[in-house]
Amino acid sequence: MPELAQLVVAPVEIRVPAVAELSRVLRLAASGVASLAQRTVDDIEDIKIAVSEVLLALIEHGVGGPIVITLSFADETFLITGRTEVVSFDIDHPDLVLCRTVLAGVCADHTINLTDGYVEIVAAIGGGVDG
Amino acid sequence: MTDSVNDDALSVTISDDGAIVVHGDIDIAGGPVLEAAIVRPEQIFPIVIDLEDVFFIDSSGLRSLLSASRRAKASDSHVALRSVGPEVARLLEITGTTGQFVIETSRA
Repeated sequence: MPELAQLVVAPVEIRVPAVAELSRVLRLAASGVASLAQRTVDDIEDIKIAVSEVLLALIEHGVGGPIVITLSFADETFLITGRTEVVSFDIDHPDLVLCRTVLAGVCADHTINLTDGYVEIVAAIGGGVDG
Repeated sequence: MTDSVNDDALSVTISDDGAIVVHGDIDIAGGPVLEAAIVRPEQIFPIVIDLEDVFFIDSSGLRSLLSASRRAKASDSHVALRSVGPEVARLLEITGTTGQFVIETSRA
């Protein structure tokens, strides 16, 4: 029988409407997946904050369409990827600067990419973002 | 307690000494609930926010606290944070905003 950590190596994808009240639900889901992936208590706390910041940025600066959060774990790195449609995305917006400051504080690395009308935020806990 | 504002994830009560007592997560959903409590017209200064029952905060919650701090400073006053837990203390430290508040008491 495979170890629990091996079971959650495959990405867990959650698609949610852009609703603020779902932030807590996503934190619970992420902490559950992180627990199955045998992350430390400190890592899980960081993962909860990172998920909240990613969702916050996507809700506040997206067009209001669906948000896809992907949770994955490989090579000791827990990756949180959030993606949604945007009209524009000003990473120097004061609210986003604070959000990015928090992400920088809890993540080993994070990236924000804007392509084809979508923004994708990748946050890495316990390792780094490849590429 | 004399007044309260409720939300599924966060509730705010006003203690007899006028402190804003927060219960729950201060996130994108809870931040506006806290904000509503802070901007009450009868709000007295300094603003005291009791965080005894807060175990999660993100940058949207911090924005609400910083907004309160700016409002208090405009009235030559300040915001005092009471019973600050490690979660809130860490976010203040990460963002370099600890100095925006008077930390009245901390908890482990």
